[in-house]
Amino acid sequence: MHPAQATNPIIRWEYLVDEWDQISEALVQHLRLTVVSVALGVVLATGLSAVALRFRWAATPITTTTAVIYTIPSVALFGILVPYTGLSMWTAVIPLVGYTLLVLVTNFVAGFRAVPAAVRDAADGMGMSRVRRTLGVDLPIAAPYLIAGLRIATVSTVGLVTVAAVVGQGGLGRLVLDGLRRSFWTPMVVGSSLSILLALGLDLVIHLVGRWLTPWARRRAT
Amino acid sequence: MTPGGGHSAAVLAQAAARRDIGVFEWLFDPASWTGPAGILRSLGDTATLCAAVIAAAVAIAVPLGAVLAHLRRGEVLATWAVTVGRAVPTFAVAGLLVPIALRRGWGAEPVPIFTALLLLALPPIFLNTYTAVRAADPAAVDAARAIGMRERAVLLRVELPLAATTVLDGVRVAAVQVVATEPIRAFLGGDGLGRYVRDGLGQNNDGLVVAGALLIATFAAATGLAFTAVGRALPEGVRRSGARRPRTERKERT
Repeated sequence: MHPAQATNPIIRWEYLVDEWDQISEALVQHLRLTVVSVALGVVLATGLSAVALRFRWAATPITTTTAVIYTIPSVALFGILVPYTGLSMWTAVIPLVGYTLLVLVTNFVAGFRAVPAAVRDAADGMGMSRVRRTLGVDLPIAAPYLIAGLRIATVSTVGLVTVAAVVGQGGLGRLVLDGLRRSFWTPMVVGSSLSILLALGLDLVIHLVGRWLTPWARRRAT
Repeated sequence: MTPGGGHSAAVLAQAAARRDIGVFEWLFDPASWTGPAGILRSLGDTATLCAAVIAAAVAIAVPLGAVLAHLRRGEVLATWAVTVGRAVPTFAVAGLLVPIALRRGWGAEPVPIFTALLLLALPPIFLNTYTAVRAADPAAVDAARAIGMRERAVLLRVELPLAATTVLDGVRVAAVQVVATEPIRAFLGGDGLGRYVRDGLGQNNDGLVVAGALLIATFAAATGLAFTAVGRALPEGVRRSGARRPRTERKERT
């Protein structure tokens, strides 16, 4: 489970060279599925959070629904979609988007609720429009929560994309399944390790971009 | 080895069904429930593995979380459990361990999937135990010390009972996640409830895929409900005292 195990002799190094096209294709597909799913998740979660923040009565049904979606087993959700979407990208993307919503909506709502009422009143008192206040005052204060949610959603999506290999998608997960079918360990080790490295890498990238975008949050952080 | 060699045992015992079989037609056919590829057998396989994983996770995470919280140490582990806990890549971990296990002669089952699921189950149980023991009513803890209880008794007879509801909630979350994730085992050289989705996909049989998916989802939902029922059956005193403290704690966390 540690990337260092990639140095284990069960890896055949020529494979990395010979099959590089296949590996990079799987990596690109993995990244694409992750980015598409998280991006759609963010769009959907933004809308749901806006509704939950605007109408108090809507908050509980929205969080409950996203929590219920989150508990649906991934293999089951991929499987149930097969008769409708076949083995297309959507069979993978729809569940993946669904799984991001709980974390994203929870953090988005928590972030905007963290804006102190006094700050909001001050912005209103200065005559800021609603849109300007949301973008110029609320958003910077909520940003650390949004970034934290985005990190968790991205890392868990990278992990779940491998499971989507069971419905013919899944990027690096396909290497794992192919390797198992052929009793050839190298693709299994490469696919698993790369997906773990991809998760850690994306986590680091979002963390660094987030720090760069929110220099004010660093001072407050304990 | 020939292509498909890795799955040869599974192929022999594949769940077979007519291509155009209806989901409920298959589910309500007694023949689907018996035999080596039957639902009862698969349910047993899944339940056994999940129970073993949860038992091991409780045996590790509850004592660890309780002792660290009592000693007021291990902040780092708790933070780690919050962030990493949501994102354990079970499939990748198991996929990485399968070749290692096979090469060491342990077989594709059950070491890799057990380990991967254990990593998934530990964070929620540890986190809930840790936060609930730390949040145990300081007045009660002080009173226990004042009447001469040893540290061990303070933890076992005051802090842990106060934390019981929250600990059980962590076990419920872990159990639902484990049961929901276990079906990947069918794609990593094992069987269990995931086999019908696998076999259905292999035979291009949508009815079997959907029926398998329903079985997995139902078992996961039933697991969650079973733990909720156990929580309700806890002794009244534990339930009330435990439920009051963590509720304020929960507000602080979000």
